[in-house]
Amino acid sequence: MRKVLAVVRREIMSRVTTRAFLIGTFLGPVLMMGFWTLPILLSKRDTGPKRIAIVDASSGQLGVRLEAALGGARRGDGDDARAAYAITRIPAIDRAASVRDSLLPLTNGTSAAPAAYDGILVVTDSVLSTGNLSYLGTNVGSPTAMRELQRAATSAVQGERLEATGVSPAVVMQALAPVDLRTLKVSDGRLTAESGEASFLLAYVMSFVLYLALILYGVQIMSAVVEEKTSRIVEVLVSSMRPFELLMGKVIGVGMVGLLQIGIWAGTATLVGTNAGRIAQLMGASSSAAANLPIPTMSPALLTVFLAFFVLGFLFYSALYAAVGSMCNSTQETQQASTPVTLMIAGGLVTMFALLNEPNGALARTLSLVPPLAPFVTPVRYSLSPLPIGEVLLSVAAMVVGLMAVVWFAARIYRVGILSYGKKPTFGEVWRWVRAS
Amino acid sequence: MTDAVVRFDAVTKRFSGHTAVQQLSLTIPRGGIFGLLGPNGAGKSTSIRMLMSIILPDEGTVEVFGARASREIGDRIGFLPEERGLYKKMGVMEHLIFFGETKGLSRHDARTRSLAWLERLGLSDWAKRKVEDLSKGMQQKVQFIGTLLHEPELVVLDEPFSGLDPVNSQVMRDTVVDLARQGRTVLFSTHIMEQAERMCDRIAIIARGEKVVDGRLADVKREFGGQSIVVGFSSGAEHARRVLADRALVATVEDYGMSAELQLAASASPTALLQALLATGAELAKFEVVEPSLQSIFIAKVGVEAATAPAREVLHA
Repeated sequence: MRKVLAVVRREIMSRVTTRAFLIGTFLGPVLMMGFWTLPILLSKRDTGPKRIAIVDASSGQLGVRLEAALGGARRGDGDDARAAYAITRIPAIDRAASVRDSLLPLTNGTSAAPAAYDGILVVTDSVLSTGNLSYLGTNVGSPTAMRELQRAATSAVQGERLEATGVSPAVVMQALAPVDLRTLKVSDGRLTAESGEASFLLAYVMSFVLYLALILYGVQIMSAVVEEKTSRIVEVLVSSMRPFELLMGKVIGVGMVGLLQIGIWAGTATLVGTNAGRIAQLMGASSSAAANLPIPTMSPALLTVFLAFFVLGFLFYSALYAAVGSMCNSTQETQQASTPVTLMIAGGLVTMFALLNEPNGALARTLSLVPPLAPFVTPVRYSLSPLPIGEVLLSVAAMVVGLMAVVWFAARIYRVGILSYGKKPTFGEVWRWVRAS
Repeated sequence: MTDAVVRFDAVTKRFSGHTAVQQLSLTIPRGGIFGLLGPNGAGKSTSIRMLMSIILPDEGTVEVFGARASREIGDRIGFLPEERGLYKKMGVMEHLIFFGETKGLSRHDARTRSLAWLERLGLSDWAKRKVEDLSKGMQQKVQFIGTLLHEPELVVLDEPFSGLDPVNSQVMRDTVVDLARQGRTVLFSTHIMEQAERMCDRIAIIARGEKVVDGRLADVKREFGGQSIVVGFSSGAEHARRVLADRALVATVEDYGMSAELQLAASASPTALLQALLATGAELAKFEVVEPSLQSIFIAKVGVEAATAPAREVLHA
């Protein structure tokens, strides 16, 4: 046992002190912060109303109506609401093209003399029949801005069309007002503050973290095994301990480093999540802006399930990666040889996506019992809708059985592989290693 | 023979296509320095790896401490493999402590012993540096220390002196002699006969996987006979060649140009050889009847061609 601990300690110390670990561990949260705060900062920066010139060549009220619709549009909620557009309407019947062309140079501003207009809307009578409205602007590349503009213009054009047929636009608009679906998640029989969006995001983030960690640390274990093999350190080590002890020490050591890193990330995420409002205020944005961001929170029960499956999945896959490493003679060789293991992990991630729509279906229940996939399937199912404890335990049990089988299998390959040099073994040879006593 | 530390009994090991070790039987008694000698590719490392249970023999048995060799007795053996391996990114002291721990020492003991050894081998200043900052020779000494930290009864060194400069080589040699003096058993392999000649109590020469001769160094030399002669020329060596090639007088010869070591033919006497040499007109600087060197014993026993192994065998040395 002391020997296993020595290997565990070595694995941890030699990894935690590397620059890559420090950068990865602390840059991760910084990126995460950026991911969440950037939209807040952007929404704050982008507050000035867009100045739009309406070149009104229409004979009816369309131009006026557009002016009113756009002029009345607001951006932001509650106290923060500001006018979205500053509109200048220029009557231009029969000379739309020339007025438009004369305005074009005015959209070109410098830092000293800002542009007079951000865009030009050309309104003609044909808009009502064809539904085609021209907008010439510097901001046409922004899908959000264009969608907003289109929405405002659509309601104006619809109103004008209704008016023309003698129907009161106000009555129709009221009847057609869309329903806004507010989704709130129920968890453990209680209402959470989480929106459906956040719930999905959480499932997605968890699976992705698991996927990344399995591959990242699995490959680390694999190359460490190859390095020990090529440098022949392993010959000294197996004269001191059983290969199984070496394998366990390695997998546990690297696993603990992985847990530490994920723990730091998860801790940061929780801090950011619970203090989202305060952070938004620090940035100068309103706390309601932060509330609109889909920041998931993890319940302690979910965290437990996630960590349990993280550990089980980690042991499962890193044992496989170690076995693959022991069969290879160089890092280049491992890239090809590890493809089946990497595909299994990718399969887990893909399965997660497939189950999002029906987390409690028969397929999902079955896949929870398949060891290579369970680390992805079960926590995600749990995050979408809490599972009965019995079902979680059954999945854990299946995972433990699978894990023991894989470790037994991997240890037998590893035991022979680390001391075999030369040609890469064939499937037949590996099978003989497994069966040899 | 009850006090044998290591015993090879009719051990054979084959690799795809050729036999690396053939029916090897060897007994290494407790205490002293045992030299396993042979050219590159003779099967030395293969034998040692079987002794360490890194590979298993195809036929025959290897016994260590009276029981079949297994990895369970690793804590009583110190092993320096032919291809050295250390974790390059680790600190020297941390690495040594790790080696100690894997042999069952406590961290504290491992540290104390490592410090003493580093001091003794002149590496104290390097204890905190990373392994990769050390020269190859220093790394070799670090690994050598790692081999000895747990004070093993049996020390197995595969080519311990290769790649060392004369000064470091001497330091290592003194340490090895010291180990034997403490009552430990040292088994080391080398292809340099002069090294073994100065250190070993017992030797075994193997070539092409087969044992050629083994026993006490003194016995091996005595059995080989005293008819070994060193000749030195001051001039006219080229005239003497004809005599050296005369198989009626000379059985084998190692010709170094201005000197030669040779074995007399069974029927010849030193006097007859001396007269023949003088008759050629060569000026002799030296003519001495000596104990045969290991090198000459080796050449006489296995022939010059065996001293250089075929290429395919080197691959699996």
